Amino acid sequence: MKLYETTVIYDPGLEEARVNEEVERMTQSITQAGGEIAEVQRWGKRKLAYMIGKRRDGTYVHVKHKSPATLIAEMDRRFRLNEGVLRHLTVVAPKEIPKVEEAPKEGEVGEKAVPSGESAGVTG
Amino acid sequence: MARDGESRSFRRKFCKLCFDKVERIDYKDDRRLTRFITDRGKIVPRRISGTCARHQSQITEAVKRARILALLPFTSEQYR
Repeated sequence: MKLYETTVIYDPGLEEARVNEEVERMTQSITQAGGEIAEVQRWGKRKLAYMIGKRRDGTYVHVKHKSPATLIAEMDRRFRLNEGVLRHLTVVAPKEIPKVEEAPKEGEVGEKAVPSGESAGVTG
Repeated sequence: MARDGESRSFRRKFCKLCFDKVERIDYKDDRRLTRFITDRGKIVPRRISGTCARHQSQITEAVKRARILALLPFTSEQYR
């Protein structure tokens, strides 16, 4: 199972209890399908960069979870049907950067990349 | 044209993200990403910002994701 990041924007008109209920339902569906929740972040009410369906704000919830791939499609379907959801996005979470062993090697590559990038900028 | 080019003070562009040693650009980090979009909401091209290829492709993906989540605009409000 892959690690996914799902962000959902709920209608700002929903009460906090309703949002909690929705989040609860989502996390339960994940655990029931054999997945696991890594992290639940509540960003709270935020201003949207553009209006979505006459809404200027949205309640953001960000969930990191391990889920079977089939569940992602099912979650997507449910979010679409749910009228309290303004937007949703699920992406595969980036792999953790190994700090201890790989870090020095990566640092070298990074340092080499900078001057080569500069020279490429001049020729190109 | 050529004379203009000569008189203009020339500074070599460099990738700001390589300079800061940014490993990965996150679509949730909208404050960092706003530096790479124009005031109309367009993604700033590499030839302007001087970003390296690796980071530019990360920016592009991150900006597009952030737009879906309404963290960044598709266009600026007044031109809608």
